[in-house]
Amino acid sequence: MTQSLRGMPAAPGVALGPAWRYVLSSGGESRLTLDEAATLAASELDALAERLRAADRPDEADILSTQALMIADPALLDVARDLIAAGGTPAAAIVSAGESAAATLDALDDELLAARAADVRDVAQRLARVVTGQAAPRLERRSIVVAADLPPSVTAELQPELLAGIALEAGSRTAHAAILARALGVPAVVGVAGLLDALAAADAQCIAIDGESGEVLLAPDESAMRQLEERATLARDRIAREADLAGRPLTTRDGERLMLGANIGRPQEAAAALAAGAEGIGLFRTEFMFMGRDAAPDEATQAAAYAAVLEAFGERPVVIRLIDLGGDKDLPYLALAPQPNPFLGVRGLRLAERDPELILTQLRAILAAGEQTGHQPWIMAPMIADLADVYRLHEFVALAAFGRPATHLPKVGVMIEVPSAVTLADRIAAEVAFMSIGTNDLTQYLLAADRTNPALAARQDPLHPAVLRSIHAVIEAGHAAAIPVAVCGEMAGDPAGALALLGLGIDELSMDPSAFGAVKRAVAGVTRAQAAEAVRAAMQADRVEDSRAALDALR
Amino acid sequence: MPELTVEVRNPSGLHARPAATFVKAAAGFGADVRVANVTRDPQRMVSAKSVIGVMGLGVSSGHTVRLLAEGADADAALESLGELIRSGLGEQLAPAGP
Repeated sequence: MTQSLRGMPAAPGVALGPAWRYVLSSGGESRLTLDEAATLAASELDALAERLRAADRPDEADILSTQALMIADPALLDVARDLIAAGGTPAAAIVSAGESAAATLDALDDELLAARAADVRDVAQRLARVVTGQAAPRLERRSIVVAADLPPSVTAELQPELLAGIALEAGSRTAHAAILARALGVPAVVGVAGLLDALAAADAQCIAIDGESGEVLLAPDESAMRQLEERATLARDRIAREADLAGRPLTTRDGERLMLGANIGRPQEAAAALAAGAEGIGLFRTEFMFMGRDAAPDEATQAAAYAAVLEAFGERPVVIRLIDLGGDKDLPYLALAPQPNPFLGVRGLRLAERDPELILTQLRAILAAGEQTGHQPWIMAPMIADLADVYRLHEFVALAAFGRPATHLPKVGVMIEVPSAVTLADRIAAEVAFMSIGTNDLTQYLLAADRTNPALAARQDPLHPAVLRSIHAVIEAGHAAAIPVAVCGEMAGDPAGALALLGLGIDELSMDPSAFGAVKRAVAGVTRAQAAEAVRAAMQADRVEDSRAALDALR
Repeated sequence: MPELTVEVRNPSGLHARPAATFVKAAAGFGADVRVANVTRDPQRMVSAKSVIGVMGLGVSSGHTVRLLAEGADADAALESLGELIRSGLGEQLAPAGP
């Protein structure tokens, strides 16, 4: 009888096949000394790293090379020796030494180091297996690997040609096994609670997994398998279509093209955004440089960061947002007095009144980056409420540009996120080179719903008719003034939101590059006219649910 | 005892591969080299020859580390390891520390 369990989808696709259980094997008597085992395990890892490098999997190869180094680490071996001297078996001593070393890395509460902690546990388990003289796990035939968790080195060791799928009790979408599964195009489901017990109880030889829904079927019967097959075909088609879109621009069904921008928060992200097909940077958040230090970064430090992104994007536009601090992000050196309502307080450009040097240094750094690279920067100011703010922004830019060569002068634009700026959009549009709508803040301000308050999370929907009407007004104002209007909030990366914006006449959508595929697919399925009709209905909706339904009906 | 303070500027700090590069270089010297992450916790020193220890310092880009060496080739070890960190441990240097 078919039994169904549910986990988290980790890699798309459907797989059906015999279940192969990976069990950690460190029981039994020791066959080797600790030092012999360490030498053998390190050479296993080096050989594996070599094979992965030859197979053009350099990132995994690096992980295993680092693991080979961990095996000889005194922090592991010395502790294990002490435990053996105190009467422990070698296998148990190694696992426990690994656990304590991993725990110190875990305690640092750093995502990268958590992955390294997994490496330490992995190394200890390998050493424990080798010391008891057991061979590395091998697949005998094409199978779905089932385990509590799959350590990185074991994942790398399994023969990819026999790996049909992966189902794990532990893990997250970012776990190593999940990343590998996506890279190999193998379906995977993680976080399946009770998987191993259910498998043993059902005595199931054959299982099926759906990497789209997160479903795991134990001993599937004929009709369950047929259903799964149908879904598999649909999934394959969809994946093929998405892959097909990867190299293509953001285009509607009738061939109208929209600009596709990337949101980034660090210069190092520029290369990946470019590789993913970004035609520009629609939002470069600059706060990262100001965090975790005792004073604001100087002009040269900032200029180097801005120049790196301008250089990477060449002639394509790069919109650098002036620091947006003071709302939910405070820094000790700003010495802001506690504000009862930080989102309605001194934040964004308002900080410049208190601390003009902060903004002037940033503006000078942006201008210097433009001169260094020969590429025109686009400057965008957050928290613009009215024309006085716009004029103040222009004054700051003029002050910063004083005495500099007039070449590579920036384009100056504003974020539209304060409701008063929506009301005044026609006047503001006449004074700036571009506008970009920050839908996250605009939604919270317009609906008076604090976006950091979980009790109001359901009210944070940019598809609310009031938000859609505001965006519509801003786009109309921008086009009347012949300037481009973009959206750089999360709405742009949500397929339903992107369709609404398409219908409202948006020129550019800027989002995290991970959303490119889904948004391209949604936009490719409709014409601008169809989207316009749906969003007109959405703007007339009584409730946000109806508004969303009108747009979902397009997909 | 010779010592040296240096800022780590490569993008991924002393995690994974750069940590391995650093530890391999440190292991090439007879001197006992110890290292601390001044930015996080100046008191906690670990052996520069332990990759787990070095990773456990949680050195990110922009952090400052302090190296202490003791032994015959202590000076040479510090000079060489300092230069290795300044040159980015095999990574492209970040334009700016976070």
